[in-house]
Amino acid sequence: MSDQQARKPAQPLQAGSIALPMIPWGIAAVLLCILPFIFTNNSAITIMNQMAITIIFALAYNMLLGQGGMLSFGHAVYAGVGGFACMHIINSGDFFSGLPLPVLPIFGGLVGMWLAIIVGAFSTRKAGTVFAMISLGVGELIAACSVIIVVFFGGEEGVSGDRTYGLPFFGVEFLQQIEVYYLIAFWLMLSAILMYLYSRTPMGRMANAVRDNPERAEFLGYSARWVRFYSFVASGFFAGIAGALFAINYEILTEENLNTTQSGIILLVTFLGGVGFFFGPILGAIVFTLVQTVLSLQTELWGFYLGIIFVATVMFFPGGLAGLIMMHVPALRLGKLGRLGVPYLKTLLPAAIGALGAAALVEMIFHVRHAPNGDQEMTLFWTTFDSHTILPWGIATLVTVVGFGIMRATAPALVEAWNEANTPDGMSE
Amino acid sequence: MTAALELDGLKKSFGKTEIIRGVDLSIGTGERHAIIGPNGAGKSTLFNLITGRFAQSGGAIRLHGTDLAGKAPFEINRMGLSRSFQITNIFPKMTVFENVRCSLLWAMGYRYNFWSMVGRSRALTDGADEILEQINLTARRDLPAGVLSYAEQRALEIGITIAGGADVIMLDEPTAGMSHSETDYIVDLIRTVTEGKTLIMVEHDMGVVFGLADQISVLVYGEIIATGTPENVRANARVQEAYLGTALEDH
Repeated sequence: MSDQQARKPAQPLQAGSIALPMIPWGIAAVLLCILPFIFTNNSAITIMNQMAITIIFALAYNMLLGQGGMLSFGHAVYAGVGGFACMHIINSGDFFSGLPLPVLPIFGGLVGMWLAIIVGAFSTRKAGTVFAMISLGVGELIAACSVIIVVFFGGEEGVSGDRTYGLPFFGVEFLQQIEVYYLIAFWLMLSAILMYLYSRTPMGRMANAVRDNPERAEFLGYSARWVRFYSFVASGFFAGIAGALFAINYEILTEENLNTTQSGIILLVTFLGGVGFFFGPILGAIVFTLVQTVLSLQTELWGFYLGIIFVATVMFFPGGLAGLIMMHVPALRLGKLGRLGVPYLKTLLPAAIGALGAAALVEMIFHVRHAPNGDQEMTLFWTTFDSHTILPWGIATLVTVVGFGIMRATAPALVEAWNEANTPDGMSE
Repeated sequence: MTAALELDGLKKSFGKTEIIRGVDLSIGTGERHAIIGPNGAGKSTLFNLITGRFAQSGGAIRLHGTDLAGKAPFEINRMGLSRSFQITNIFPKMTVFENVRCSLLWAMGYRYNFWSMVGRSRALTDGADEILEQINLTARRDLPAGVLSYAEQRALEIGITIAGGADVIMLDEPTAGMSHSETDYIVDLIRTVTEGKTLIMVEHDMGVVFGLADQISVLVYGEIIATGTPENVRANARVQEAYLGTALEDH
């Protein structure tokens, strides 16, 4: 039968639909185990802990934004309230001394979920602007509660505690940063796998369907509102886990964990990484944490640079970092990825040099405006000079102009190489 | 035998404008019923009333004898009524296969399930592939639905509409904007996939209407002026006068 033949080519794909692609997850698990042996100092472990918590939170956020099409401006409250609840458990004395610390995130998750059930009951009625505005309002409302309901939120100084009072877990008391690292790494793997699997369930698929076309989904028997509600609740659960891990890691929660700044950051992280792919938020969280911790040691203006990166991402690469990477897959499949190497080098290297020049100008302006009177010396790229003389300004301007100039001159060749690399051989016109 | 779908004095007004002015119609099980009429007669509004997209201002709609008043589209769909849209309404970013699979989920009892993997279910995969075969889109299986040609998207929409196994299928201008060969293709497709089901469609192409329908209703200014077999409707003086005249004689 011709039907039978026509169907054959689809078979291999069908056989490949295993729930969990083992290789990337295996690599991730191994990496998580050995990273502390590569980056051994305490500050590196602190950064990795922060990174892992942000990854969980960003993945949870992407269950809404990327998979459910819901833009939330107040998602920090679900992580924050989950975290506060965990701080109170840590401070509960008898109950906590009978509870192993690694179990604590479940409670954070349940509290985040509970709050999401309450808020989601009315906020998920519509997607789009209505949902976004309600999320913003509720976020502000709960953040404001932190100074009103002092007994829960601890007012301005927040709530702090000591995680080591918990029941020792196979003799581990979580006194050391490295022990906490493995606790967080375990929860990171578990949450990431669960969130990935969720996207493969009927609910996860319908979340995509409702995102793309809520009306059509309704005519397939699904209530768009209930689908959004379930996504929202699941997202609240994993956000709560992230909050609990924050509580374990830092042993303090304050109003800062709830406010709109925090909510904005997680939106930025997720978008930077790319909402279209599951691994996007993971990339976003890694890059963001690195920029935040490493760059902030170098310059006070790190937020400024981050803002530029974010705006550039939204304008030029709406798929985020993940989208940028996945853009290269067609060329890779055609075996022509290598041909992009030289054109990339010719355009991106001058662009990077130009960007550094521009950054130097920004830093110099900042220094001239803000350094105390008489302090005219500044150090930039391992060079110390007087910021009030003309020469450094000239050099920085020259580097910027020449760098971006070469970039503009070589860009058309890059575009051409790009088109060539994405055209199968013998099909060029 | 109760009718598959029964409209009883159905009315709809938008503000002071009455669009549907008392429609009585009974469509039997297994019937292929076409609703025709000039532009602005209220055909699409009638569809939207039946499927719960709009609320009626008066009268009743009964599906297999059950009143549909106040029911949401998803509830009506669960009762076995499925529809397509005049403007293609699919999930453009999802693959063709995924489009069909999503339309199978509720009917196969998954409801709001978040603990089983869709990729693991043979029944689901096979069911979706079977539909793809019926609508001849197997070769397009893994493409995003948005990149299909117009006729293919229309075929996919019909596939999505029938996938859930609904026994009352409503198609809103399934051949709108198609070339002759595409129209013939879609008509054949509709005939095969709606075998043994109740079909209700709105259509402008008289060739399609007279080729597919056993019963035709003519809707003019929110009222049905004639219902009957194609021959009867063609011969009806009121219909000829009100609207069709020349169009009918061509066929």
